[in-house]
Amino acid sequence: MAAIRFDKVQKYFGRGDKRMHALSNINLEIEDREFLAIVGPSGCGKTTCLRLVAGFDAASEGSVSVAGKPVMKPGPDRAVVFQQFALFPWKTVRGNIDLGLRNKAIGFEEREKRIADVLKLMNLETYADAFPHQLSGGMQQRVAIARAYVLDPEVLLMDEPFGALDAQTRVVMQEELVRLARVQPRTVLFITHAVEEAVYLADRIAVMTRRPGRIKELVDVKSVRDAEKWNRFERIEDVMDLDSFVHLRTGIWRSLREEKNG
Amino acid sequence: MGPRRFLIGFATLSALGLLWYGATSVTGLVSSGRFPSPIETYTAFQQIAWRGYAGGTLPAHALHSIRLVAMGFAVAVATGVPLGLLMGSSRKAEALINPVFLLIRPIPPLAWIPLAILWLGLGDAAKIMVIWFAAFVPAVINTFSGVRSIEHPVIEAARMLGTPPWRFVMEVVAPAASPMIFTGLRLSLQASWTTLVAAELVGALFGLGRVLNLAQQDIYPGMILVGMIAVALCGWMTTRFLAFGEARALAWRHFEAKPAR
Amino acid sequence: MDRRLSHSETIGLGALGLMSLIGLWAAISGFGLVPDQFLPTPIAVIGRFIDLFREPFAGFTLQQHLSSSLMRYLYGLLLAAVIGIPLGLAMGWFRTLDDVVTPIFEGLRFIAPIAWVPFAALWFGTGIGGPIMIIFAGAFPPCLINAYRGARFVEPRLIEAARMLGTGHRRMLMEILLPASLPSVMAGVRVAAGLGWQSLVGAELIVASAGVGFMMVQAQASVQTPTVMAGMIAIGITGLLIDVALRQGEGLLRHRLGAD
Repeated sequence: MAAIRFDKVQKYFGRGDKRMHALSNINLEIEDREFLAIVGPSGCGKTTCLRLVAGFDAASEGSVSVAGKPVMKPGPDRAVVFQQFALFPWKTVRGNIDLGLRNKAIGFEEREKRIADVLKLMNLETYADAFPHQLSGGMQQRVAIARAYVLDPEVLLMDEPFGALDAQTRVVMQEELVRLARVQPRTVLFITHAVEEAVYLADRIAVMTRRPGRIKELVDVKSVRDAEKWNRFERIEDVMDLDSFVHLRTGIWRSLREEKNG
Repeated sequence: MGPRRFLIGFATLSALGLLWYGATSVTGLVSSGRFPSPIETYTAFQQIAWRGYAGGTLPAHALHSIRLVAMGFAVAVATGVPLGLLMGSSRKAEALINPVFLLIRPIPPLAWIPLAILWLGLGDAAKIMVIWFAAFVPAVINTFSGVRSIEHPVIEAARMLGTPPWRFVMEVVAPAASPMIFTGLRLSLQASWTTLVAAELVGALFGLGRVLNLAQQDIYPGMILVGMIAVALCGWMTTRFLAFGEARALAWRHFEAKPAR
Repeated sequence: MDRRLSHSETIGLGALGLMSLIGLWAAISGFGLVPDQFLPTPIAVIGRFIDLFREPFAGFTLQQHLSSSLMRYLYGLLLAAVIGIPLGLAMGWFRTLDDVVTPIFEGLRFIAPIAWVPFAALWFGTGIGGPIMIIFAGAFPPCLINAYRGARFVEPRLIEAARMLGTGHRRMLMEILLPASLPSVMAGVRVAAGLGWQSLVGAELIVASAGVGFMMVQAQASVQTPTVMAGMIAIGITGLLIDVALRQGEGLLRHRLGAD
């Protein structure tokens, strides 16, 4: 059974004359432990796809289901990492991570243990009692990822998580995410407009058209990555130099450019 | 405040003091029937501080007024903030209550004073009622707009973490709106004092407004000035008290950034 | 926060809210749960409101009371604007003046405008002068503060740009600083108008021999609750009209200055 499933999804916003067709007939299955990235021109509805899975918006037609169950409302089984971090500024790092666990009514000792584990995993141990605004952007996004990871969710939804970071921090976080995916693989739906990022991180990439957004093409990255052994490199720039990487990236770029020129 | 500012400020206030003394006591430019000299003011202060005036000593009057403001303010906060939270979090509640609010809001709180006296007499209850009305509006409005200006992702983050409604209000909505709520409370407190003084001037048996009222009738400028200074000091003290509470409640905003490792 | 409501839902719920308020009022007063002097029926209040335009109460009809209130109000507000705005602007532009005036102003800030009533009565009497001073006391601080803020926090880049173009001192004041401060000044006037109206009501309740506030105290003294409530309605409507007019003016000004 697919972890996330879009079945003939249509999405409209507004009504009457102002009705806008956002998504057109989206069919997509994301496998368990698969990392799928959606790329597309801005305003094509990639974020809307994520919001449907998260339960923030509802599909106009068709259905979205996670682990076989249709999505009704937001919940901790589908943890979201937002572009703007969306940490609670009045809670410490620990308090931010703890809230979801408390909502699941997990006992104190179990919570303490899981928080300690995730803080270690994300290299945040020394910041447990800091408030978000005391941390750099990259650190804040680590906290947001920790807050999502600690819930052990069915799927992890990441909406341009590194979009608000500077270029250097971004690279560090991308490498971090690859490391994380190796240590604790999860089903991930990752939204980005950066093609390199998608090729570097994802197992599969869905390329979307302009509005109304359709899935134009599905690119398999994993088979290339495994065949060409990208994993032997620690650093992103080494992977990005490989011919196989350049080939994939250029293909997706061409596909997107067709969309922009319309 | 830099030393320059402090010096100029100090010089200004000293000059004003000298001017006051000169105009009233030395040259007699301002007659003591219009504005009291420093000595007359001090005499009035001595009188009310030890022997009493208008039925009590200054601390007794001041405590009475502070107590009324505190009670009216507390009732206004206890009703206004929850209502603002409710209207902010539920569009249905907003649609239901807003027109009523729009209807009552243009009536200045002071205009309720005659009705309050008709309903509750000259005692404490009428004062508390008008203070409540006066302090209620800023509490509701600022809480409401505080809730509405919460950034969307923060709300969505709380929802995706599966936060139950009560915890959502107490741990997400209320703290997120708290800077605006405190802005409202500062305005509420100011309105409370204005209203109390007005209500006590219109009719009261005790309190700082009563002191002012009697001093006016007795044509006793020294006592008027003492009363005004007492009102200002009480207002200042309660404002400091609120600011202290605000600093405690919003402590999370004021920590220094942690140096990156 | 939650789902947006449709137009009809908003109107329906709003009407429901208003109707329950008025219904509650009508029920309490209409079924005699409380005595008439305590809470008259809505009809009685509206009837009284209309009557007051014809038969004088406390010496004058309602429109005469209103016009004497408005007269004092305009004088007081005008005085506050004429003194407060130039002073505030000058404080924003000249640091020494700022340093001199601010400590005085900080000291006076905590005196509620209404607390000036005894001195106002002593200095200017209870006719027109006393209430004007109270309105002035209420309206002056927002005029001053907003003009000050407008002048103090002009976008530095505008000033630098003007300087780069070789703008002289006088022209800098008139053509750069003044227009840049205007939106804030206008906002201050609007706040001042509200606070001034509020102070007027207070002043008239305490010291006046005519005006809507005076009418209300007289009615309260003779336990004429319908007249008190009619006075509240008159004050509410007038205050609302003033606010609407000033908002319109502010909107026009902002539009002209391209501040939107």
